[in-house]
Amino acid sequence: MTTATLPAAAPKRTSVPLPRLYLAELRWIFRRPRTLIVLGLLALIPVIVAIALGVGRSTDNGPGNGGDALLTSATANALVLPVAVLIVTLNLLLPLTTAMSAGDAIAGELSHGTLRGWLLAPVSRGRLLTVKALGVATFTLAAVLLMAVVGLLAGLVMNGTGSLFTLSGTTLSFGAALGHIAIAVGWVTLQLWAVGAVALAISACTEHPMLVVVSVLAGTIVSTVLLLLSSVSWLHPFLLPKSWDALVDVLRDPMPSSGLTEGVIRAVCYLVIGLGLAYARITTKDG
Amino acid sequence: MTTSFDTEHGAGVTTPAPAPALAARTRGLRKVYRSTVAVDQVDLDVPEGAVLGMLGPNGSGKTTTIRMLLGLVRPTEGEVELLGRRMPENARHALPDVGALVEGPGFHPFLSGRENLRRLAAAEPHLSTSDIPRAVENSLERVGLAGAAHRRYKGYSLGMKQRLGLAGALLVPRRMVVLDEPTNGLDPAGTREIRTIIAELHADGVTVLVSSHLLAEVEATCTHVAVLHDGTVVAQGELNELLESGSPGVVVSTPDGDKALEALRENRIPGKLVPDGVRADLTTATAPHVVEALVRAGVAVHEVKRERTGLEDLFARLTQHETEPDRLSEVDEVTR
Repeated sequence: MTTATLPAAAPKRTSVPLPRLYLAELRWIFRRPRTLIVLGLLALIPVIVAIALGVGRSTDNGPGNGGDALLTSATANALVLPVAVLIVTLNLLLPLTTAMSAGDAIAGELSHGTLRGWLLAPVSRGRLLTVKALGVATFTLAAVLLMAVVGLLAGLVMNGTGSLFTLSGTTLSFGAALGHIAIAVGWVTLQLWAVGAVALAISACTEHPMLVVVSVLAGTIVSTVLLLLSSVSWLHPFLLPKSWDALVDVLRDPMPSSGLTEGVIRAVCYLVIGLGLAYARITTKDG
Repeated sequence: MTTSFDTEHGAGVTTPAPAPALAARTRGLRKVYRSTVAVDQVDLDVPEGAVLGMLGPNGSGKTTTIRMLLGLVRPTEGEVELLGRRMPENARHALPDVGALVEGPGFHPFLSGRENLRRLAAAEPHLSTSDIPRAVENSLERVGLAGAAHRRYKGYSLGMKQRLGLAGALLVPRRMVVLDEPTNGLDPAGTREIRTIIAELHADGVTVLVSSHLLAEVEATCTHVAVLHDGTVVAQGELNELLESGSPGVVVSTPDGDKALEALRENRIPGKLVPDGVRADLTTATAPHVVEALVRAGVAVHEVKRERTGLEDLFARLTQHETEPDRLSEVDEVTR
C-alpha cells in the first residue's frame, strides 16, 4: 500500500453466489429449535386427527355427531385425511406458522442485530430479500408437505390403499390419489406464499417478530369475518381466504378447476404486491 | 481516487489531495431521526493506515456516524466515502474490504460460536466456499475463542460475545476495520488482547477506526483522534498534536496544597488542587514565576513537573461547557 491514492480494488468478487446464501439460510432455519418444534407439532396434527377419527368410528355409530362433515368422510378414507387436515389448518394455523417464519426472517434478525452481519458483508438488500423469501417459501413447503405425507401415511395405516375414494364417489388408483394430494400441497403452499409475502412486507417494517404474527392473525380473522358479511360483498374478491374453500375441489373427480384457478390468481396477486412492498421497504430501511 | 468528491463546505476538495490518502471521509454529514438531530455537520477524515479513536460521551453520535460510514444508514444530508467509494451506493465494492463490529455483537443464541461465524462467512464475497472452515477457525483462534467455539452463543459471557464479534470482523484480511466499543464487557486481559490485535492490524497497514468512551484505551492504541460531542466533531487530528495543543501547566508536588493555592491566587495564577499538590496554569504565567510565587509564600516545593495535557483533560475541555473537575471521574478508568 505505497501509492498515495487508494488503488481501486482488484476485480474481486463483490457478491456471493445466491445458492451459498440460500444454503446458509436453510441451515439457520432448520437448526432453529422453534422451527423444529413447530414442524413436529404440525406433523402431530394428522396423527391426532386420524386417531380421533379411528376412536370415534369404534365408539360412535354414525356420522353427524356434530363433527365436520369433511372430517367424518375422512374416517375411512386415506385420500381425504391429508387434504382435510390441510383444509382445516389453512384457515389459521398454517398462515400463523408462515407469519412466524417471515417474522423471524427479517424482524427477528434485526432485533438480534444479526441482519447487520450480512448487510456489512455485504449482501445487497435485494439479494437479502430474495434469500429471505426463498427461506420462508422453503419452510412453508416443508411444513405443508410434512403434514400431507404424515396424513397420507396415517390414513393408509388406518384404512389401507383400498380406501382412496373421492367425494364424488369414485375410487382413485394410488398414483392418481398421490397426484390429487400433490395438487393440494402445491395449491396450499402457494396460498401460504401469498401470506408469507405480505408477512415479509410487515416484517421489513418492524423489529418485533410478534407483531408480524399478530398482524397476520388479525388479517386472516378479519378477512374471514368480512367474507361472512354480504353487505361488503364488493370487497370479497380482494380477500385471500375467499378461495380457500375451493381446496375441497381437489377431492372431487373430475376435479373442478375454476375455484382453484381463481385461488391461484388471487395468491399470485398477493405474492407480487407483498414482495413489492417488502422490497420497497427493505431497500430504504436503516440497517 | 475514483470519484471526485464535491462538496460545498470545502477544505481541500478541489484537486485530488496529494497528502495522505483517506481510507474514509465524510463531508457535511447529518442524520435526523424524526425530530432529533443525531449527527450534524460531521466532516471526518480517517487517514489510511491510521488507528483513529473516535471519542465522545454516550449519545454523541459515534455509532450513528459509523453506521452511515458503513452504509447501514442513509444520511439525511452529506456525503460519505469509504475506501474511495461513495456510500451507500457502492457498498458492494467497499464493504468486502471492511471488517466491522457495530453496536455490539449480533449473533444467533441457539447456534454455536463456530456456526454463527460460518453463517457470517457464507456472505463474505472474498471467501470462497472451500475456504470458509479454515477462515472461521483462524479467526476463532485469533480472538482466543477456539476452545469455546462449539458452545452455544447463548451461554457465552459478555466478553466472549465481544470476541466473537471481533472474530467476525477479522474473517477476511481487511483494508479497514471498524470497531464500535470493542472493549465493552471485556476484562482487563481481554482489553489488552484487543489492543494487541489493533496493534497487529496497524502494523499490517490496516486502517482501524475505534470508537470508545474509554480514554485510556484510545490514548494507548491510537495514532489519530476525533472527538465528537452533541453530534458534531469538535476536534480531530493526530493524537500527539491534539495533546500538545492543550493549555500548558505545571504540577507542583507539595504537602501544603491549600497554602500553595492561596499563593497562586494572590499572584493571579489560575490553579487547582490535585492529589499531592497543585496544578498551576501557564497561560498567563511562566514556570519560574509560579515557583517564585510559591517559594516566597513559604510553600514546600518537592517537585515541579511540566504537565503533558492528558487526553482526559482535552476531552473534558472539548465536551464539557462548564469546567467541573469532579465530573472527570465519570470517565471510565478500568483499563488503567
